[in-house]
Amino acid sequence: MIPGRLTKELARICGRDAVIIDRDRLLVYESDALTAYRHRPGAVVLPRTTEEVRRTVQAVVRHGLPIVPRGAGTGLSGGAVALNGAVVIGTARMNRILAIDAPNRRAVLQPGVINAELSAAAAGQGLYYAPDPSSQTACTIGGNVAENSGGPHCLKYGVTSRYVTGLTVVLPDGSVVKAGGQGREAPGYDLVGLFVGSEGCFGIATEIEVGLLPVPEGVRTLLGIFDRIEDAGRAVSEIISAGLLPAAMEIIDGPTIRAVEDSVFAAGYPTDAEAALVIEFDGLEAGLDDEAERATRFCLRAGAREVRGARDEEERVALWKGRKKAFGAMGRIAPDLLVQDATVPRTTLPAILKGISEIGKRYNLIVANVFHAGDGNLHPNILFDRRDLDELERVEHASKEIMQLCVDAGGTITGEHGVGLDKKHHMPLIYGPDELDTMWGIRRVFDPGAVMNPGKVLPEETEPSHANRGQDPARGELVGAPAPA
Amino acid sequence: MSGATDSLAHAVKEQEEGLLNCVHCGFCLPACPTYRRLGDEADSPRGRLHLMRAVVEGRLDPGSEAFQTHIGRCLGCRACEPVCPSGVEYGNLLELARHVGGEARKPSLLTRLLLRVFGTEWLARPAMFAGRAVRATGIPVLVTRLLAGSVPPRGPRLGLAMLAASGPMRGLRAAPAGSGSPRPAARLRATVGLLTGCVQAGLFSRVNEATVRVLEANGYQVVPVDAQGCCGALHAHAGDLEAARTMARRNVEAFEGAGVDYLAMNASGCGAAMAEYGSLLSHDPIMRDRAAAIAGRVRDVSELLAACGPVRGSAVRMKATWDAPCHLVHAQRVSGPPQAVLDAVPELEVLPLAGATECCGGAGIYGLTHPHLGGWIGGDKVGSVLESGADILVTGNPGCMMQIGAGLRLAGSEVPVLHLVELLDESYRRAGFYAGRPDHGNGRRP
Repeated sequence: MIPGRLTKELARICGRDAVIIDRDRLLVYESDALTAYRHRPGAVVLPRTTEEVRRTVQAVVRHGLPIVPRGAGTGLSGGAVALNGAVVIGTARMNRILAIDAPNRRAVLQPGVINAELSAAAAGQGLYYAPDPSSQTACTIGGNVAENSGGPHCLKYGVTSRYVTGLTVVLPDGSVVKAGGQGREAPGYDLVGLFVGSEGCFGIATEIEVGLLPVPEGVRTLLGIFDRIEDAGRAVSEIISAGLLPAAMEIIDGPTIRAVEDSVFAAGYPTDAEAALVIEFDGLEAGLDDEAERATRFCLRAGAREVRGARDEEERVALWKGRKKAFGAMGRIAPDLLVQDATVPRTTLPAILKGISEIGKRYNLIVANVFHAGDGNLHPNILFDRRDLDELERVEHASKEIMQLCVDAGGTITGEHGVGLDKKHHMPLIYGPDELDTMWGIRRVFDPGAVMNPGKVLPEETEPSHANRGQDPARGELVGAPAPA
Repeated sequence: MSGATDSLAHAVKEQEEGLLNCVHCGFCLPACPTYRRLGDEADSPRGRLHLMRAVVEGRLDPGSEAFQTHIGRCLGCRACEPVCPSGVEYGNLLELARHVGGEARKPSLLTRLLLRVFGTEWLARPAMFAGRAVRATGIPVLVTRLLAGSVPPRGPRLGLAMLAASGPMRGLRAAPAGSGSPRPAARLRATVGLLTGCVQAGLFSRVNEATVRVLEANGYQVVPVDAQGCCGALHAHAGDLEAARTMARRNVEAFEGAGVDYLAMNASGCGAAMAEYGSLLSHDPIMRDRAAAIAGRVRDVSELLAACGPVRGSAVRMKATWDAPCHLVHAQRVSGPPQAVLDAVPELEVLPLAGATECCGGAGIYGLTHPHLGGWIGGDKVGSVLESGADILVTGNPGCMMQIGAGLRLAGSEVPVLHLVELLDESYRRAGFYAGRPDHGNGRRP
């Protein structure tokens, strides 16, 4: 609970209906899409303008409470979870597209605009917004900026940071900073670059300027069917080595195929296959057929049972829907899931996939893989039921081993979901004290009072001023279902 | 353990398995009309499922303000179901949640009163008669016209405007009836029994009559089913599952007795409810299989018509736009057939309607129990109808007809609202299909 005086102040700033303090209502904000971490916020505020955000931040900080920004709560690293009774500033009501400047291929938006709705709004002018996280029908641009989100087509087009050209940011001290903007190269330090991917630890973006791309002239989508997932991994590696540049290359494994085919988003992946590889080429019409032809040959050579092209737009959309809704479809297999996001060198894919499958077997857990194979960005989904405490423990061990496996192969702990709460303790696997010190230093420039999304990204005990610096990071934050009353 | 606590525990347990499918991905948020407008996750499908699960886990009291408010504020439009990758059966869970909520705290007097009237024949008949009598005085039309412009529509104004909007629309019958010989009887395709409904029979008897005529023109034999009653949809949506089950049993027996091939529905809310009789009665060992069999034969009238073409009539030179009722497009996943019926009307120009698959805010008795939010959502629908440039709005559910019709009239618009079968019926009348029939040869009602 937050102090009554603060509640009144927030209601004056944003309106009474924009301040949620009822403990029962706050339950729905206790987690993001990674439900293994649950903490009830002290309050939720839903402002509509930069000015309201600024005054809200000032008021909350004056009362000594921490702040957590939240978009649609579709994140997968616990980044939008409020620790220690923090106040959530939600962007759901900041959902207006302020301008689409077609001749200059730019758009200016509020952070609560849904990713796919920006592309839909720009479609009339032949433009679209390239980064396409699988949750794009629900996730917000503000969240994408915080996490520097990727998506299937980022193989060719790059991630969010490549498209954000300007930001208006409210910092924890209540100042409003305009960085970049008007699409031009900003002189001086690249504040936009620094802010994108800062996971809500530096401030809150309240206006975002992004670049748009022309909708490609042509597109070819292939579906390769494999009886062994390692073969699909090899095909990916060979296609890239040969110098082809698909817009996207995605692998969907057997358990995932079966969950998707059972859902309303059934894409026509054969349910007896152990891997489906979706490959897409786009760009100028000329040359696309040739590229598709060559990719088909690589797949067949790697052991594909069959490779076919999407006959029309309808079939293409179905193939992608199946892929993009796969995460949600996992609920058909088990009630809870923990999704990893490790990125490994492409050439190691076949070995890593085999290793993950062995870890799953050893801990008697179902691990379903659906991932951006072209980037080597894995998404092993460990499926479980949080009511089973023994299983919960095995999940934690398996998760750690999978992470270690990827790091040992020269990979990293997150490709696009962010570090958040889930992976902060793995940061020392990747970085030494010097790198972590540098990151802490930058964070404290923006947030000297440690009020912006505290407890995320960097493990507290690595902070230079921390009393127990250098000690083993505390573990075990996964929560099981509480016993019914 | 008392009866109420017992059934509460049972309902809670029943919800648990259904709730576990939700992995919290959030894909349903943008589909939800209340979340889109309010921005509070407690007013989203995911949030409501989370509250339900908290009740199951014993972390939340179903009588709490949060549970009552947010479960109560759901339209029940089920737009979240077709976008859910995990296939959470939200509609079913909502009914159970309302049942649990209703046991913990009695629903509002208005809700109880309305349900009581619809569910009790000796109350419903006089109520509908009174409605027709008031409508016949012309007062609702007059008052609605005087109030036009005082948006948003809500409260008693909305009630009167809805009554006004339930009347037949003028202007459509400008063209004379065709004088050709009546259409030779088509080959008999199947026998159907029409659910005549409570509101439909009470205020929209013309839609029921049109339904019979267009089905017959397309080769269906419409068999009277006398023993039928209210389908129980409104009761189930409000969580009064026992009342809904009683009504379902009665209808299962009535339609079994009629021995028809299909049950024809011209109110999609009723159609969705009857198509789910199997699950509604799944705990009744005697009725379970029979209910599922009857549910399997439920078809929206547009499906029956689309299955045979349908036969084309004469030109209706108008600009129409189609608003998809939630319980047709989301709950029953019927989207193609209404289009096929519109296409069977020669020279009808069909214009796109922005947000055609979003709820109109009518949602059963929602417009009456949640006037502010219902009015807001309804106002947006009226706005997009006016923007579409259409001169008639076509839909397929009496609640939507009244809600949108009331909204249009209060906004000062003359755009008429028609049921899909009324439009096809008019096309047939102009073609002379009904020539020589006592009720329709001259373009006048009996």
